[in-house]
Amino acid sequence: MIIAVSGKGGTGKTFVSSVLVTQLRKTFPDASILAVDADPDANLAFSLGLEMSRSIGDVREQLLAEKDKLAPSVTKREWLDGKIFEITIEGPNCDLLIMGRPEGRGCYCSVNHLLRNIIDSAKDSYDHVVIDAEAGLEHLSRTTTRDVDKLVVVTDQSLNSLKTAYSIRKMSNDLELNVGKLFVVGNKIRDGQADLFLSKAQEMGLDIDAIVPFDEYVTELDLEGRPVASLKEESPAFMAVTKLCGSIFS
Amino acid sequence: MFEDIPVEVGIVHEGERIRQQQMHVEFGGPKVPNKFELVQMKAPKDVKDGKVTVVGKGLADFEARSRAPIAIIFHVAGKKMEKDLEPVLERRIHDFFNYVEGVMHLNQRYDIWIRVNKEDVKKGLTLEHLGKITIQLMKQEFKFIEKMEAFIYTDEKDIESRIKSAREIYEARDARARTLTDDEVDEFYGCILCQSFAPIHICVITPERMALCGAISWFDARASARIDPEGPNFVIEKGEVLDAGKGQYSGVDEAVDEKSGGVTKEIYLHSMFGLPHTSCGCFEAIVFYIPEIDGVGLVNREYMETCVNGLKFSQMAEQTGGGEQTEGFLGTAVEYFRSKKFLQGDGGWTKVAWMPKVIFDSIVDFIPEEFKDKIATEDVKNLKGLKSFLEEKGHPLAQAWAKPVEEEIPAEAPAPAASEIVPVTASPATLMQVPAGAPAMTLPAMTVPGGGGFKFTFKNARIYADKVIIQKAKE
Repeated sequence: MIIAVSGKGGTGKTFVSSVLVTQLRKTFPDASILAVDADPDANLAFSLGLEMSRSIGDVREQLLAEKDKLAPSVTKREWLDGKIFEITIEGPNCDLLIMGRPEGRGCYCSVNHLLRNIIDSAKDSYDHVVIDAEAGLEHLSRTTTRDVDKLVVVTDQSLNSLKTAYSIRKMSNDLELNVGKLFVVGNKIRDGQADLFLSKAQEMGLDIDAIVPFDEYVTELDLEGRPVASLKEESPAFMAVTKLCGSIFS
Repeated sequence: MFEDIPVEVGIVHEGERIRQQQMHVEFGGPKVPNKFELVQMKAPKDVKDGKVTVVGKGLADFEARSRAPIAIIFHVAGKKMEKDLEPVLERRIHDFFNYVEGVMHLNQRYDIWIRVNKEDVKKGLTLEHLGKITIQLMKQEFKFIEKMEAFIYTDEKDIESRIKSAREIYEARDARARTLTDDEVDEFYGCILCQSFAPIHICVITPERMALCGAISWFDARASARIDPEGPNFVIEKGEVLDAGKGQYSGVDEAVDEKSGGVTKEIYLHSMFGLPHTSCGCFEAIVFYIPEIDGVGLVNREYMETCVNGLKFSQMAEQTGGGEQTEGFLGTAVEYFRSKKFLQGDGGWTKVAWMPKVIFDSIVDFIPEEFKDKIATEDVKNLKGLKSFLEEKGHPLAQAWAKPVEEEIPAEAPAPAASEIVPVTASPATLMQVPAGAPAMTLPAMTVPGGGGFKFTFKNARIYADKVIIQKAKE
């Protein structure tokens, strides 16, 4: 199952992604899980309690800088294959791959072509993949297998992030992504403002699948920079996302 | 064929990733300094066919999740076996190890990284099995192998004592690969990865001409064409040599014609005039013709300043790219400047006058000795400076223009003073954009190969034109 999580920056994508990984592990104890941090502004490693590693972007730059020094018979594909395995963080609950910065100047066509193939085949070797994607879905639109079983769009109660959620839904059609099922999550919703939020969403034609309440536990977690795993089970936000996981995984 | 092997063997297991949690032992990899695999040709009498010798710990002797050094050496004999086939066989170790269920193999040579999962060890898989499987698959695929024997070492001391000579073998092979020439191979490769940007562009990749982006060598393209023959890289049969100097081949022309949708019919691999190789948008560098000196300059994509011809990389890139044949501008990989066939059809290094220092430094070992001190870098900022630099250094270009080119040069029109020269590009339209009321201006002889050469002299000219088009008359 490939689950992608998208939404405007700051709405809590990384939090939702981390809870998804945690719950996947609980629900499928023997499955192999890959988390992909595809948002250069996010830090999924932190949230999953894993050590940071080099990103695919770093590897790409390294290749372009060192390509003339490679032994002639070592192909770039093979070199990248090894490097990507090397930078894959192997955690107790899941593996993690960090995409890193988008490319700089110069030509990346051929390198990106190789990376796409490698990332796609890496994904294939896991039972479940959770992608913490940026709002523009650039990462997804660039992969060759554009199948996403579940797309989870996170919005907070700002009009701007609702608009982003709306355009992500639209984009998922325009980009010819093959999305199995789409979920829209209202995150960080303040007490007593759920109705107003829901009516705003409805005006825009967005169906909200879950309301995740504003949660002091999560704010504290963010401030202290602790991983999601250290969150108390009674955290209302954790419980709300966990409940949604039931329908996402089914 | 693998009845006595306790796990499955087959191509379906290729690409299997063994995660740390599942693995029993890891050989090599980034955290183990000493590891290698090697195939060596031997005399038949020195090879015990089918024999596998394991020295050191076997798989079951390791504790779960351990890490160890490894050396894997195959000896091969056969009447038709050649030394050049060693690396070809060696590359297949990677594939054949990956065919084994629960075994992962990455990289090659002294970078290998092998993982074996816990299940395999439980089922009784051994290193001897891995040796046997590889020997069988090799013999099945390469019929010329008559005898093959394997040695696997897992003790640090055994690997340390052997790795130095293995490294020497790899280095010798690399040295050989680096000097591989276009003439020695039967196949070139094509690349159409950039056709999403430049729909009619096709890169022709040869041992002596890397793809323009600098990312796909002949070896890369060969590997890619083998993995995915329907993909962006494909075989081009060289065919007949039509022009050895400029690098024209019938097979290349056929492929270019087909893949460009008939837009480009013929190309030269090693000349920027007449029928130059096209450029996508991805080239690492541009070779630009400087008509004032009948020479060329080189500039890399990262160079942001104005070049000696008064143009920036970005301005020249517009003229160069797009997949059309543009004489006088050639997109290339920086690696091409290290090629022995670099601009062979146009005079090669005798024509190079200018390049940014950063390129100069990166290719200095490949510039013929006699030109090293005759090529200007960014210290020389304009054509006037370039002309005096070349004259001062005695560059062959300066010697060439010192001779009278055209006998009919009128006596009253003296050789152009450098200050009168304005930068021109090869585009005839821009050539004619002379500011109104400009004083007498002379453009030096500009030779266009195949065109014979022509000369414009404007004296007290006042020209108004929205556009001037100069076309070669059709015969």
